[in-house]
Amino acid sequence: MSLTNQKPDLEDSINVTEAHGRVVREAAACARENRIVDNGIGHISLWSLVVCGIVAFIAGGVYFGSGAELFAYNTSFRPGYVRKPPGGAEDSGPVPKEALAAYMAKGSKIYSAKCNGCHGADAKGNGSTFPALAGGIWPNGETERFAMIILNGLEGPVDDGKTYGIMPPQGIGMAPEDLAGIMTYVRNNFGNTKGDVVTTEMAKAAIEMSAARKNAGKSVTGAELTADHMKNLPGEKMDPKMMLDPITLAPAKAP
Amino acid sequence: MSSAIPTNPEQDALLRAGIDRSLRHPVMFFMTSGAAWLAVSILLGIVSSAKVHSPEFMAGCSWLTYGRVFPAHINAFIYGWGFQVAFAVIIWMTARLSRKECTASGLILTAGHIWNLGVSLGLVGIFAGFSTGMPWMEFPSFVWPVLLVSYFAIVIWSFIQFRVRPEGHVYISQWYILGAMVWFPWIFITANTLLHCLPGHPVMAAGINAWYKSALIFLFFTPVALGTAYYLAPKVTGRPVFSYSLAKLGFWSLAIIAPWAGMQKLAGAPIPYFLPYLGAAATVLLFIPMIAAAINLLRTMLASPEILSGSPSLRFTVAGIGGLIILAFSAVFLNLPDSTLPLTQFSMSSYGFEILALYGFFSFVMFGAVYFIVPRVTRREWLSRRLIKMHFLLSVYGVIVVALVALYGGLEQGKSQEDWQQPWQASATAYPYAVATTIAWCFILFSNVFFFLHLTLMWLRLGRRSSHPTLLAASHGHAVSPHGEDGDIDNAGPGYVSAH
Repeated sequence: MSLTNQKPDLEDSINVTEAHGRVVREAAACARENRIVDNGIGHISLWSLVVCGIVAFIAGGVYFGSGAELFAYNTSFRPGYVRKPPGGAEDSGPVPKEALAAYMAKGSKIYSAKCNGCHGADAKGNGSTFPALAGGIWPNGETERFAMIILNGLEGPVDDGKTYGIMPPQGIGMAPEDLAGIMTYVRNNFGNTKGDVVTTEMAKAAIEMSAARKNAGKSVTGAELTADHMKNLPGEKMDPKMMLDPITLAPAKAP
Repeated sequence: MSSAIPTNPEQDALLRAGIDRSLRHPVMFFMTSGAAWLAVSILLGIVSSAKVHSPEFMAGCSWLTYGRVFPAHINAFIYGWGFQVAFAVIIWMTARLSRKECTASGLILTAGHIWNLGVSLGLVGIFAGFSTGMPWMEFPSFVWPVLLVSYFAIVIWSFIQFRVRPEGHVYISQWYILGAMVWFPWIFITANTLLHCLPGHPVMAAGINAWYKSALIFLFFTPVALGTAYYLAPKVTGRPVFSYSLAKLGFWSLAIIAPWAGMQKLAGAPIPYFLPYLGAAATVLLFIPMIAAAINLLRTMLASPEILSGSPSLRFTVAGIGGLIILAFSAVFLNLPDSTLPLTQFSMSSYGFEILALYGFFSFVMFGAVYFIVPRVTRREWLSRRLIKMHFLLSVYGVIVVALVALYGGLEQGKSQEDWQQPWQASATAYPYAVATTIAWCFILFSNVFFFLHLTLMWLRLGRRSSHPTLLAASHGHAVSPHGEDGDIDNAGPGYVSAH
């Protein structure tokens, strides 16, 4: 770059007054600007290098401390992992529920798995092959008779003379808690309001009784029910307001 | 090609004035509509923050539910304000640094309108319930090609100007600006094609989304802001940048580290185990480029305290660099596995980090650039020193509260989320922090409404006709009128007072 034009008033080609006037009028802000083309040669100070080094060290710790195991599924997916309760707090398990609600919650799952298909979500049946459970005499009647029907199925005419379809046995693999749940659920839902709980103890007795029947393995008939099972299941009655553990159905510990 | 560069300072000033004039309308359009979107975004931010602490606020209005207002707030901020002001700065600075007048300002202006149309349609889509649900990409998926095409139509001229510039030095600002111009299409196309066109596993999609957010901050907004600061600092103070080697360290470490960051948002999620920790380590390492640039710029700017006290551009830029330093320390502090990283996953602190980056750092440097550029392209000086001061102070108070409350309140929130015996509701709301955030956004709104009005008056060329800049403090200690000292006006020639 030549510097000859640095003294414009020495050059004839420029009308100084006019050029200066234009600059003031049109480019005042631009004319104020500095034009910096050179770069500083300041050194990178030692302390900033030290700070950056510490940060790089931390970053190394972040990566190699936690992430270096690449695809370590064993680290992130521990089989059978149970979350540790934080220090100071004791794991008191699930929140206790009232007995009736706890049994019904269990029963509602079984109902949708086993009964829903024929008797319907509203338990009204269809009036011909599938009888209604809502308001039915047998669900709301003696618990032993009801349990035998669930466990063994039912065929043939019933005591009001009607013949519905054949109900297959549902008791295979049914745990006492499940039977107790489903019975409590049906007796306290769909407009049925018995208000009592069929306990696990009663259900256990029913399963034993069912296995000891004369014609074990066959469906019960209306006649057999009337003859042998017109009674309630043995066992202590439970206060429906008693607090239970909703998973095990055992009485909850006092909080 | 030294013949292309006028050596006479007056001719040089006229050349620069010609460049400014060629870009007047696109630059002013991007800045003013950006400022309008900023005000809209802050208003939506107030509404969404108010809904956090008082959910019944505007509850009757289905298009103003939290799930729509919050994305609208952040998308208006990013695509309405952030990108548009970045466009203004990119096209103006590349033209100035390449010393070329812009020949395509009409096309840029048209593309700018299309960009605005895309943003408006996207926001209408969000309010109408067609949000994609991907953070920072909530616009319905027809919007992103519109944005991409108008992006290219806007910045392609800056590439051309760079290619045909007179031979010579490539300034530090140009490294950053060119980097941002190249990196943005890369991250935008990658994220959008992977999420919209080739959808894969949804957990990985969330990871890509988190990477996009981080890359947008560190590969677009950060380099644009740093390029601008590297332009303003020497330009206004009249001193060369403190250290060229530190600048090189800062640029290359940013370019190398930033693409790896982002996936730490998914720590503990079922994606390959190293990805979140790689993201966390990269975010920690980003301390290095951030602090290198911050030291370099502060050493340049703080060397001239008398200019710093007077110049609005420099004051905003210094505040932005202050935000950058806090951001750098937060990047380290928020990404420590087994201590802070789990607390940031579902709490406000990631929002705080984003607002700190977008407002506390990026926007402040952009305000500095606006206060520098507008008097040049309109050839009018800013109307009111008091409006600038109000803008500065309210913005600083506001962003300190929003960012720090969300950042560190978010950590407290994270701690209470980890305590599984507490009801979730209590920790999800974080009531006192949400109230503080709402109030702080109100401050920021107040400051930016005035900024928008001030800017609009400048675009209408209602600024002061004077050759003396609007300074925040009288130079040399004694009071001068905004028109300069008596009898001073005709003396304002080249190099008479330093630029502001």
